Amino acid sequence: MAVQERASHAGKPVREIVVVGGGSAGWIAAARIAARNAKGGDAGIAVTLVESPTQPTVGVGEGTWPTMRNTLAKIGVTETEFIRSADAVFKQGARFVGWTHGTADDAYYHPLNPPVGATELNLSPHWVTSQETPGCSESFAEAVDFQGALCNRGLAPKLITHPEYTGLANYAYHLDANKFASLLKDHAVNKLGVRHIVADVIGVEQMESGDILCLKLSNRQNLPGDLFVDCSGFKAILIGGVYQVPLRECRNILLADRAVAMQVPYPTPDTPIVCHTLATAQDAGWIWDIGLWTRRGVGYVYSSAHTTDQDAEACLRRYVGPAARDLNARRIDLNAGHRQVFWKNNCVAVGLSAGFLEPLEASALMLIEISMDSIADRLPRTRGAMEVLAKQFNETFDHHWGRVIEFLKLHYVLTQRTDTEFWRDNVNRASVPDSLLERLDLWRFHPPSAPDFPFAREVFSWPSYQYILHGMHYPTRYSELPTTTAERSAAERLLARAAALRSDALRRLPDHRGLLGKIREHGLQRV
Amino acid sequence: MTRIAVLDRARHGALRLKPTRELSRQRYALLGLSELATACSDFPICLAKDAQTGRFNLIALFSLEEPRNLFWLGDQWQATYLPQATTTAPFLLDAGAELGLAIDEDHPQLGREGVPLFEADGRPTQLLTDVRAHLQRVMGDVEAAQAMVDRFVELSLVRPLTMVLRRSNNTEHEIAGLYSLGARALAELSDDRVVNLYRCGYIAAASLMRASLNQMERLRQLHNASSNAQFAGLRVQVAESD
Repeated sequence: MAVQERASHAGKPVREIVVVGGGSAGWIAAARIAARNAKGGDAGIAVTLVESPTQPTVGVGEGTWPTMRNTLAKIGVTETEFIRSADAVFKQGARFVGWTHGTADDAYYHPLNPPVGATELNLSPHWVTSQETPGCSESFAEAVDFQGALCNRGLAPKLITHPEYTGLANYAYHLDANKFASLLKDHAVNKLGVRHIVADVIGVEQMESGDILCLKLSNRQNLPGDLFVDCSGFKAILIGGVYQVPLRECRNILLADRAVAMQVPYPTPDTPIVCHTLATAQDAGWIWDIGLWTRRGVGYVYSSAHTTDQDAEACLRRYVGPAARDLNARRIDLNAGHRQVFWKNNCVAVGLSAGFLEPLEASALMLIEISMDSIADRLPRTRGAMEVLAKQFNETFDHHWGRVIEFLKLHYVLTQRTDTEFWRDNVNRASVPDSLLERLDLWRFHPPSAPDFPFAREVFSWPSYQYILHGMHYPTRYSELPTTTAERSAAERLLARAAALRSDALRRLPDHRGLLGKIREHGLQRV
Repeated sequence: MTRIAVLDRARHGALRLKPTRELSRQRYALLGLSELATACSDFPICLAKDAQTGRFNLIALFSLEEPRNLFWLGDQWQATYLPQATTTAPFLLDAGAELGLAIDEDHPQLGREGVPLFEADGRPTQLLTDVRAHLQRVMGDVEAAQAMVDRFVELSLVRPLTMVLRRSNNTEHEIAGLYSLGARALAELSDDRVVNLYRCGYIAAASLMRASLNQMERLRQLHNASSNAQFAGLRVQVAESD
């Protein structure tokens, strides 16, 4: 009898999907699941999103990864519609200013393009060797790719004739998070058939197994479901409130715990739009600066142990300059860390409910997207299948979050700054994960390479590590590595190709704002 | 190069137009909707993106390579039909201008010889009146083609055209940037849409466009007849999925 009961429980089909929360995470989740599963299938999947009328969305997370292009395409939103409705602009990487020495000329790019010929040859040792030639001072990013040159000149990554979601250079976006959520809401409700309920979740009814049977809503409705996606932000109503899954904090590794943010309008409508994220190191953290269509989003991420809120806001206002005078600054508490498990029973946490890390590499939306790739592309057919998929998900995302934390720490641990306690504390060995220390030792002698990373799909792969290590002048001995004549000539050919691609791109690509204006007026073609 | 300026009697009063047309470097021309049926007896008719707006234009193709025109031989047009858009240079319509026209000041047909644009007293000559009427007719027809193409885009019928030329040494050369209509996408249109498009004349136009792709082979033959760099073969394919 017991066996039979378990069997029927395991065989129970998963049909009703309930998403809690109406921010970017909630609407991405609902739209991805609906677009992938609710149309044309025979499984009878229905998606409902319940949004609180009282809880404001956090509305940060304005930088994306190139993954967003795939996500939007899968949801069925056109790039034209997205650029027009979310005030989106192109992002081609990040420029880190003042992270290594804090001097005026201290800056490097982490472009979104991989190094030229990345699938053929690891160029890192060849670049290191070339640096030993007197008079050769091209940075790594400059030598192996052309995207930094586009960023310097404010050029777009594509032409008006490129089809939607394609370009000459790899690209992501900066977007207005609130406008983005409302675009996704319209699309999910009107085109994908997602049911939208505006109500607070005031409680849940659980089965003996611990599974959630239904949500109790403030409108007295009971909302039953087979799978609940908790996108309720920092409140983490289900994963935290119901299941009490603790956060694994990482404030001992990533010291910043607060942010103060500001929206800065452009002085004139034709002000150039910067097409990369600017991350400028400060005494107790760093300032993000991203361009949107009508304004910049600027904020100081800082450690409250190393500065006061007043000093941090003053620092941000100094950075913005006279334009900051009449603007309000908004403070946000950051609690760096992630859940010990993300998927518990029939509830999976996605977005801020799953965890939060400082926006240094724009990982927030990306983690939502790859979570939804896992969930939507293999939506459990039965409660039994969910058990195995949840286990896989927890292992995978524990790994991914760990890797993001490590990669963020990499930006701090390579600093040579000793001017403030914040930077001195950041290189304290006790604050660096062992796995990162171990690799840093390896990377003195061997460049970051694919075998250093165990997963087929790593969030940050070896080229990203190379851009940071070389950008921050990590001392290496790669020039002592053995090499062959064939490799050396291949390296020369590839570096020449990077230079040729650069001059071609600089000749053909249009001004960033100019292209956005054209897209808003004429649209992009699908093919 | 081109230098476009509003036509102005003070600035352009002394200019004259030479009737000799020169199209040897023109690789394609915009096509009006009413021209399609005639033009397809000479040229492949496909779609290409406007470099400034990214929108699709209906064009007649005169050559496989830029900048060449395989129908311009011995200073003459050697085809049954001459697309009308080739006859409007160096004039452009400009609704905001007093005379309704703009000109390309650098155009070789403009100079001190030929038919005057203005009378001695500054009034526009009959030539300008005729040019404006002609331009309005041609551009109206091009706009009608544009409306049809926009409808094709809206219905997701446009597909990239893959053209691969094989040189005599067996190396291949791909021509990118041209588009046509997908056969399957057309076949899968709903009955309502088919009737609606048929009544607009767009189903007939779509069939002509697809059939005209066979003229690519004629371009290859004309190319080989007048060039040392021979193309031994040509593969033309319209993508099915978008």
